[in-house]
Amino acid sequence: MDLPSPEQNVRRSNKRIAGTHFLNVVRVVWLREILIYFRDRPRVISAFMMPIVMLVLFGEGLGGIIDLPGISYRQFIFPGMVAMIVLMNSIFAGVTIVTDRQFGFLREMLVAPVSRTAIAVAKIFGGATIALINGMVLFAFAPLMGIDISFLIVVKLMGLILLVGFMLTGIGVSIGSRLRTPESFQMLSQAIIFPAMFLSGVFFPVNNTAKWLDFFVQFNPITYAVAPIREIGLANELEKVSPEVAASLINVQAFGHTFTILEELGIVVAFSILMLWFAVRGVRNAS
Amino acid sequence: MPNNIQVNELSKKFKDITAVDKVSFEVDQSEIFGFLGPNGAGKTTTISMLCTLLKPSAGTALVGGYDIISDPGNVRREIGVVFQDTTLDERLTARENLTFHGELYGMPRAEIGKRADALLDRVGLTARAGDPVAVFSGGMRRRLELARGLMHKPAVLFLDEPTIGLDPQSRRNLWDYARSLRDSEGVTIFLSTHYMDEAEACDRIAVIDYGEIIALDTPDAHKSALGGDVVSVTGPDLEVLSSEIAQTFDIEPRIENEKVEFNIQQGATFIPTLLDKLEQPVDSVSLRHPTLDDVFVSLTGHQIRDGDISTTEKMRNVQRTGFGRRH
Repeated sequence: MDLPSPEQNVRRSNKRIAGTHFLNVVRVVWLREILIYFRDRPRVISAFMMPIVMLVLFGEGLGGIIDLPGISYRQFIFPGMVAMIVLMNSIFAGVTIVTDRQFGFLREMLVAPVSRTAIAVAKIFGGATIALINGMVLFAFAPLMGIDISFLIVVKLMGLILLVGFMLTGIGVSIGSRLRTPESFQMLSQAIIFPAMFLSGVFFPVNNTAKWLDFFVQFNPITYAVAPIREIGLANELEKVSPEVAASLINVQAFGHTFTILEELGIVVAFSILMLWFAVRGVRNAS
Repeated sequence: MPNNIQVNELSKKFKDITAVDKVSFEVDQSEIFGFLGPNGAGKTTTISMLCTLLKPSAGTALVGGYDIISDPGNVRREIGVVFQDTTLDERLTARENLTFHGELYGMPRAEIGKRADALLDRVGLTARAGDPVAVFSGGMRRRLELARGLMHKPAVLFLDEPTIGLDPQSRRNLWDYARSLRDSEGVTIFLSTHYMDEAEACDRIAVIDYGEIIALDTPDAHKSALGGDVVSVTGPDLEVLSSEIAQTFDIEPRIENEKVEFNIQQGATFIPTLLDKLEQPVDSVSLRHPTLDDVFVSLTGHQIRDGDISTTEKMRNVQRTGFGRRH
């Protein structure tokens, strides 16, 4: 019988220690992200105010103007607003790496014997968690918008938002790890968030746009994040209309192909991995 | 001897500026090693390379027995660092800054709490443990950072200008603590400073200027390399006094500032002999130990200076004589 040599045993247990250490670093860095978020009162308050402002502005203001087949515009735009909140909170969460660098704390983390990947993953999960909290606070208003929800919808949506939040915070951390001041981060992230938001189907069904805009919509990875949020958020409402109408409201048609929700999620996962890679590289070169 | 530092021809170039130029030295275990030089001399750049935060342009170093280039992970495990600028999280409490650090270094949970409490006590911050760092004074932050650097019991401790912003009492405390770490736990301490009195307290000092080490020795040896203590004698006739001293003791005095001055080893024990043997009348005798200031001036031809200074400014300071030092 072949027994592992003592040396191999040591190596194996070292590997296991390294593995638990990786997860522990992710946990503690993530925990700090959440902690400092909740200690930043203005940030928390504005994040909770934003959904209410948007509900009033878009839900009530635009609600009566635009007509859609099958469902009201109010119902249509509500999941879009959830996506918008997730988008803004996630990308903006990348600012913590800029402030960590500015106040020196990044060096405290980088001089420690920790994997740079663990730091990037924890930062991204932190942003995704904050986006999840804010997204779900807004989604709690769904019944008020006349949207029929269920426990299953809420659970599915939470998982989805976490995934989408991961992708979007990945963008935030990728940018943040390469910038030196929060001001430049603010400018650059706004410059990305606004066009990305308008060209992702947050405000209107993507298949109704002008041809030249279509091009941007199709290449915008956020399009494939918004569509599943709408499809899951409105699941009960879409069952009440004909499949053709439902498809016209939620499907993304791009490159001569109609995407299924699984394909959309595949794109989100792929883009998340790409962003994680960029973020890890950014953190690695950040010192 | 794993717990020391061996630096071999370490260099760092930033575009066309050579910040550190082929620096080589060794630090023994349980030694307090000082890097003395003006701001901009390359002290922080050297520390950044030894702490694995900056890649050297050439050369390498072993820290705690591990190579800073090929094995940075193990180097990081062995070292504790107190940076020149604060690296605390202001939104966390003092205690949270320490426990976060303990977790990053993979310390067991039970040990983290105990060690944090012990260190907070040691640096006198127990009463403020639960306050966010944002309300701390500069001195308190510095002390907390020292405690944090020691959380994981590093074998080698790097202190970059550790006493900037500390009041005299905190400075003394820090030094007492540094010595006790060296003596009881065998910690190797590498510190950089531009304060002469601080360098005085090190076991050995490397004098660094323009990225190069120009002398490396114990503080006493640095000073005796100047030729010992300075004795000044005054009397009614300096010329006659000077020649009598020259003849009687076979030394070469000089007349400066209306005094006869000469350098001699063990100046204090020489004075009685001097007075005993001199026949000329003497009004006063005074003795001065050479300071590291004297050492620095004799080595570099200019005095140590404060602030980040451009090359033209540096040139000007070399020529300027009255450039004061600040304590």
